[in-house]
Amino acid sequence: MASLWILQFHPLSIQPSIWVSKRRVSPNFLQLRREFDLPHGQLKWNRSTANPFFQLRAISSLGSSEDGGVPQHGVVKIPLESKHPIAKLQGMISIFPPVVFLTRRGAGSNFLIWLCVATAFLLIVVRVYVVRKSTYNRPGSVADLVRRGQLRSDRRGISRPLKYDDPFNNPLVKVGKSNSTVEMCGKVYKLAPVTLTEEQQAIHQKRRSRAYQWKRPTIFLKEGDSIPPDVDPDTVRWIPANHPFATTASDIDEDLAQNNVYQKHGVPFRIQAEHEALQRKLEALQQFFCPVNLIVRLQEQKLNKLVIDTGNAKDFERLLKFNPKPNELIEQSPFNNQAGDPMPSKSDSAANSFKSNSSSEEIQKP
Amino acid sequence: MISLKPLPTNLNSSFFRSLTPFKLFTPKTQTLKSSKSHSHSAIKSVLQWNRKPELAGETPRVVVITSGKGGVGKTTTTANVGLSLARLGFSVVAIDADVGLRNLDLLLGLENRVNYTLVEVMNGDCRLDQALVRDKRWSNFELLCISKPRSKLPLGFGGKALVWLVEALKTRPEGCPDFIIIDCPAGIDAGFITAITPANEAVLVSTPDITSLRDADRVTGLLECDGIRDIKMVVNRVRTDMIKGEDMMSVLDVQEMLGLALLGVIPEDSEVIRSTNRGYPLVLNKPPTLAGLAFEQAAWRLVEQDTMKAVMVEEEPKKRGFFSLFGG
Repeated sequence: MASLWILQFHPLSIQPSIWVSKRRVSPNFLQLRREFDLPHGQLKWNRSTANPFFQLRAISSLGSSEDGGVPQHGVVKIPLESKHPIAKLQGMISIFPPVVFLTRRGAGSNFLIWLCVATAFLLIVVRVYVVRKSTYNRPGSVADLVRRGQLRSDRRGISRPLKYDDPFNNPLVKVGKSNSTVEMCGKVYKLAPVTLTEEQQAIHQKRRSRAYQWKRPTIFLKEGDSIPPDVDPDTVRWIPANHPFATTASDIDEDLAQNNVYQKHGVPFRIQAEHEALQRKLEALQQFFCPVNLIVRLQEQKLNKLVIDTGNAKDFERLLKFNPKPNELIEQSPFNNQAGDPMPSKSDSAANSFKSNSSSEEIQKP
Repeated sequence: MISLKPLPTNLNSSFFRSLTPFKLFTPKTQTLKSSKSHSHSAIKSVLQWNRKPELAGETPRVVVITSGKGGVGKTTTTANVGLSLARLGFSVVAIDADVGLRNLDLLLGLENRVNYTLVEVMNGDCRLDQALVRDKRWSNFELLCISKPRSKLPLGFGGKALVWLVEALKTRPEGCPDFIIIDCPAGIDAGFITAITPANEAVLVSTPDITSLRDADRVTGLLECDGIRDIKMVVNRVRTDMIKGEDMMSVLDVQEMLGLALLGVIPEDSEVIRSTNRGYPLVLNKPPTLAGLAFEQAAWRLVEQDTMKAVMVEEEPKKRGFFSLFGG
């Protein structure tokens, strides 16, 4: 009849209860068992899950190691007084069931696990504390604007958000299905409706119309100029004397500028004007200062004189040969007299000699 | 960034088929407001990202983009909204009305192609079509600068010049542009007066800080005195994390202070600086950045004369479980 040895471990205090068989248990065994009284019950030994076969085996193995294979019934004798350490160790290993060995090793790992959990809990507490501390109001926040009266203080917290379907066809934007949250680029947003009404807009417009009175300036005057009599003083804009644009007040012809802006085809006005001016200048230069034209004119004059002399020479020949009429000679000579050249002087002298000859010839005729 | 609008009466179904890069689906309607007593004007909200926007108002739509305070993002808004409009198929002429400090050509990467300005046109050195610089990326986008940095435009004359310019663009042979967008200089001086002269509507760019809002309020008052009533607001450089931490005013706070309808909310994005360096507006980036998406949406609303009905507020991320407490 085999006895069942069960060790029970309670969470707070372990009270090893040993079901002792009918046989007497040696006090040494009891003393050893008390070593399992651990301060913290890291192990829960579930009675229902105890493997009786394991225990039986343990018992049987215990029995076999000591008694040479004869199974002991519920009696575990521990050789406490062993001189050889190796033998002692072997004995301890062989005596205690494997589950005991596991529980001893589990005790160390239990400690480590519980240490990690405690550390994690401590970190969480510290983190929460830091986060809460960071939300503390710092100077320079929006609260200062409220304090200064720039913002209303009752306008904190927006009404419940609206619900939308996915408005973007963009993979970066993810809208939550249950609520109106939008996730974009790692951040989560919610939709807050605009609360500005038309009445509020009208109030702002009235406020601005009272605060800002302004008329568009129609005339720009430099400092020191007098205001024309028919001009509203509110529409005068005074230009400081050192303003960079003060000197170019009236350099542009307005009509011309307007026409230039409206021009759609053709050459721009200034380009055309410059081109025409250049052309005129070139023509003028050509007319008066071109050396080619001057040489041409001189040559023309020379040619004209040469033609008259040859004619006279022929006439002289005719007179010498055929006694030409003196009237013809006289008609040709005035042309030479008008030229005023030294060449005509020779012709004049020739004509004079001819006249003298002709007169002598007439005298000679009977 | 979500916006709702009333359901249009005629949806161009053929355009649905042409939108091949978009996911085609029938628009889902949700009634967010209670319908009014008369049934034919019941308000229904339609999700609007699957169709081309319908141009509202009379062409050309002359829009001036101003702010008052400098450095808030006027030129960036002009460049990105203008190119977004061009991508949507509208003809756009962008005018850099800053006489002394010209920047729009730099943002667009067209600085080497600007040979003539409006001053040369008025002087007769060139025609208007010769001064317009056409963007090679989008042929329906053109740029015109008022003047080069060293040239001078007489004070009091610039407003008339811009009026003539708009009239000339209306009657040009290529056709009247759909949008004329004017990049206004900072301040409320002569340059501002020049830029707002021909405008019919205004887009006010502001950042969520008190100094910018004060200047924006004054500029809004001046615009209203000059007769421009259609004024919408773009809130730029928004940091949702700072708004969540209550270190920055929220967009709704800004709207409460100014009392203007919202055209767009542009988040802070470092890509803006990179796009400026490259001369490549960030609406052309692929994949689009958050700021680029916001600019596209603002352009969409500008076309249809719509405003934002809701804004996005950052909230705490979803808890992923026990292990998120370990810093995940």
